[in-house]
Amino acid sequence: MDINIIENTENPQSDESEYEEIAHTAAEVLQLMEEAWLNEKFAPEILPHKYDIVECLLGQVSHVEENLSNVHNDDLRRSLHQMELDRLRYLVSSYLRLRLEKIERFVYFILKQEEERSQKGEENYLNDNELNFAKCYGQSLDQHFTDQLQFWPGNIPAEWKNQLIVPNIYSYVFMKAKNEIEGVMINHVNEEEEVVDLKTGSQILISYNNVGHLIRNNQSCLI
Amino acid sequence: MFGENACSLIRELDRNRGSLPPYNNEILGEVEKEICHLIQQNEADDFEAHEDSRVGEAVDYTATIRTRHAIIQRNLRCLLAYHYNRLRCLRTMRWEFGSILPPDIKANLSHSETNWFSKYSSMLATYMRSIGDDGGVNLTIDLNPPKALYIEVKCLVDYGQYELSDGSLVLLKESNRYFLPRAECEDLIRQGVFQHIVN
Repeated sequence: MDINIIENTENPQSDESEYEEIAHTAAEVLQLMEEAWLNEKFAPEILPHKYDIVECLLGQVSHVEENLSNVHNDDLRRSLHQMELDRLRYLVSSYLRLRLEKIERFVYFILKQEEERSQKGEENYLNDNELNFAKCYGQSLDQHFTDQLQFWPGNIPAEWKNQLIVPNIYSYVFMKAKNEIEGVMINHVNEEEEVVDLKTGSQILISYNNVGHLIRNNQSCLI
Repeated sequence: MFGENACSLIRELDRNRGSLPPYNNEILGEVEKEICHLIQQNEADDFEAHEDSRVGEAVDYTATIRTRHAIIQRNLRCLLAYHYNRLRCLRTMRWEFGSILPPDIKANLSHSETNWFSKYSSMLATYMRSIGDDGGVNLTIDLNPPKALYIEVKCLVDYGQYELSDGSLVLLKESNRYFLPRAECEDLIRQGVFQHIVN
């Protein structure tokens, strides 16, 4: 078995079009996944999904698993690779779990946002499967609450639906700039504004609402 | 006093964080009765007010009606909070115990909560099946970052034979120690069959 299988490149065909269809080596994919995971972990709101990376990594995992099944049980390489696989699997499932948790917590808010996005023709943040899950979850909550209020004389009140649970986008996050960013506006409580320039690799503790767009368009990452 | 029962529901939630106390039918019934009662009174007062205004007498009911309305809203909010937080707790248990709940927890659920749980289980399963190309990913394992491939566990009950994923059989006996692959143990640790021995 090739011991360096995880380092092998994949998808050699693909052009450098505007969409990020650039070929990544497996190591790069891993790095992207780690970054996506950390961003998702620390951002208070849900971020655009990275299912292409997830699927790529899962493909790699099952590929290596297949190769491993040919290796004898007592081989040292097997346990080394197995450990690495477990780590990868943890990474992916933790990422997906974090997203699910956010979807559940802010379900009505996220559904509303997604609807607005698709009306405006923007790309959805949720993948189709996640969207299905979110819809089912929202409906089941609706159903449960309506069931509980059956005793109500007259019309069952529905005002609670207007009180959405929203993520606190003013929470503070540690951010690291990936390239030079100029003119980050920082809004202070007393309506004052401050402009900061960030150098590549510099780190800053900042309120998420000021830098959310930088995370989403991949100019910086959370740490 | 009005609103006290609803408040005690919330206090009950707060006392039992992370666990699921029995569904409090009794107090919920009281709160529901209180709400119905207040709504009836408000309607009656509303009717009176209309009557009075026709006759020309001016008794002001606004303050009482508003107060009652505020109590109703507060009770409603407490009711919903109670149910919502129980669902959140139930949801956590889905992740901990899998789709089959231990009987002692099941006994604490209301009928509609049991329904919700099976609905949640099935939507989660549908979602997990849909990830990736080949048959999905089980997100309920690998809950903690892996540190070592094998872990040492102590068996707490006489479990009998257990088949590992590579097909070999292990006989699990009470108070024996085993050195097994972590992935195989996770489920059994959560079920309380194994205890993880941390050095």
